[in-house]
Amino acid sequence: MSSIEVKHLTKEYQLGALTNIKDNALNLLKRLQGKPVVERKHFRALDDINFTIEKGEIVGLIGTNGAGKSTLLKHLAKITTPTSGKVIVNGSVAPLIEVGAGFVPDLTGRENIYLNCSILGLSRKETDAKIDEIIEFAELEEFIDTPVKRYSSGMSVRLGFSVATSIDADILIVDEVLAVGDLAFQRKCFERIENLIKGDNKTVLLVSHNIRQIERLCSRAILLDHGKVLSDAPPSDVSELYYKRSNKQIQKRQKQLAAQNITTKGTGEMKLLDIEILNKHGNPVDEVNCEDSLTIRVKFELESDFEAPELVIGTHRTDFVYLSSSSTALIEDRPSFKKGINTADYCLSYFPMVPGVYCVRVAFFDKNGRQIFHGETLKTFTLTGEKKAAGMRTMELPTTWCIDGIKHRV
Amino acid sequence: MFSTVKNLFAYRELVLVLAWKNIAVRYKQAYMGLAWAVMKPLMLMLIFTLVKSFVGIDSGDIPYPLLVFAALMPWIFFQESASEGVNSVVAHTALIKKIYFPREIFPLVSMTTKLLELGIGFCILAAMMAFYGYIPTTTAIWVPLIILYTMLVALTISLFGSAVNVYFRDMSQALPVALSLLMYASPVIYPLALVKKTLLEQQAAGDWSNTLYTIYTLNPLAGIIDSFQGCLFRNEAPDMSVILPGMIATLILLPLSYLYFKRAEAYFADVI
Repeated sequence: MSSIEVKHLTKEYQLGALTNIKDNALNLLKRLQGKPVVERKHFRALDDINFTIEKGEIVGLIGTNGAGKSTLLKHLAKITTPTSGKVIVNGSVAPLIEVGAGFVPDLTGRENIYLNCSILGLSRKETDAKIDEIIEFAELEEFIDTPVKRYSSGMSVRLGFSVATSIDADILIVDEVLAVGDLAFQRKCFERIENLIKGDNKTVLLVSHNIRQIERLCSRAILLDHGKVLSDAPPSDVSELYYKRSNKQIQKRQKQLAAQNITTKGTGEMKLLDIEILNKHGNPVDEVNCEDSLTIRVKFELESDFEAPELVIGTHRTDFVYLSSSSTALIEDRPSFKKGINTADYCLSYFPMVPGVYCVRVAFFDKNGRQIFHGETLKTFTLTGEKKAAGMRTMELPTTWCIDGIKHRV
Repeated sequence: MFSTVKNLFAYRELVLVLAWKNIAVRYKQAYMGLAWAVMKPLMLMLIFTLVKSFVGIDSGDIPYPLLVFAALMPWIFFQESASEGVNSVVAHTALIKKIYFPREIFPLVSMTTKLLELGIGFCILAAMMAFYGYIPTTTAIWVPLIILYTMLVALTISLFGSAVNVYFRDMSQALPVALSLLMYASPVIYPLALVKKTLLEQQAAGDWSNTLYTIYTLNPLAGIIDSFQGCLFRNEAPDMSVILPGMIATLILLPLSYLYFKRAEAYFADVI
């Protein structure tokens, strides 16, 4: 028998606030006259979701913010009712939906443990048996008889986690609440969660943005997007899809952000006409592979001749960390620019950064160092790459390993 | 109905724990603690006794303070169970959005909390009865049944009210006003005997007198307060002619109220 069965689950919410008396009265009037009524807009949080989870399965649930993960969990925990469709849950559900919901600030830690346990469905006897372990895990022996309102935020979160994970149930719902407290406690939390999950044949639904954790713990993953199941497959397949999609989204957002951040200032003697990114074939593009060469072509118009000025072209990240830059002043025989339209190419044999969105800046000085023009985020381009974008690095350098005398290229 | 009660019985421990929480929180940082619970009926009793000395209310041969206190006990229990019950669902928003258990637990918890305060009221009542030399007889066994009936009446209001309150907060504003009016339509300040005398014996409202009396007794509190006083001080069993209209109304409305609550319950978490 399966643990969780979700059939054609759809949930709609009404957008907007409750209407006022006037609108309601008008609507009533219209209804009585048989005229159409202005309905509030509906928002489909979940759209025809179908899946079955067998007993003992550990399933990861991933998706960006607003994909419908929490709404889905709420249905599994019976907190809310579907607009249409069915949710069948066989067995008791222990929701870890939010740590410490229902802590009462005026009660002591110990009193709150009893209260919370009984809300989560434990009898007093069962709580008695567990309370020492709960306190010990939360590392609160000293403060357990102090009102929770005097706790630091870390302390109450620790207590909440400790209570929430001490519940026994057939089906565990673990929301992204795992990382609480300092590093040492976080590690403890993860261990405890993993012990819970791997424990005796429980069905677990794990919601996390931590894809690595899902890949490690789960036998299956479900990717939600805008209320639909986008993929229901082994975690490695699903996580790859998720990475691709979320990368695209990040790049889109960064480009939008960059567009708001264009800053230029200057005397007006130089007018920037166009900036193009050229790929290795010399075609203007928006995306460049990180292993290929690229050229930044700047077109500008000058009001007069400039003898041996300094043109600077550089790149920076969307958060204004300067990455590269070069100046025509470095050229041994400084070139001069004539009145009218000029073109300058800044050529790189490859751009050694991790895939992402990068920006171009341009500056122009006359030979005395007077600033004629300066602009940042004038153009953005996307760097693509085969390798995964995540990881603790910003640069993508060609690397060769040499292990026991044998060379490996990565 | 039976399965409902059985289902709730499974949650009895939670009800008790939540009631204990309510009480603990309310009196935690209060020096006088539970003594506050009896302040309200005591103060009202003193004021009514004072008023009575100007207005002159015929309380028969039962001392007026005793009569009023015995009326205030079920009245305040009812009034506060209902008004706190109506707010109880909204007051637990955090829990409702996070975890499921039958939502009717919240009005029940409010009532259980009030039950404890009622218990303290009984101690005061016992002291007052001893002071005036009243010894309860066998008719006192009706008291638990009367309290149970009061609970059903309070639930009728708080189940419906608390569900409506989730959608329209007007309910929590309107109910206290309605209840304070209802107090004057209940034999709290004056004994029911006075109403009977005026309407049934003197026919003060002419042809309408008997109808008016029936309407008056449709208020369950009329029967509750009168029989509470009757079985404690007059050694009478409850007068069914007073109780019946209100009881019929309650038995019709309670299931409706409960059904409405259960239908609305499914969307509490979305709307609250």
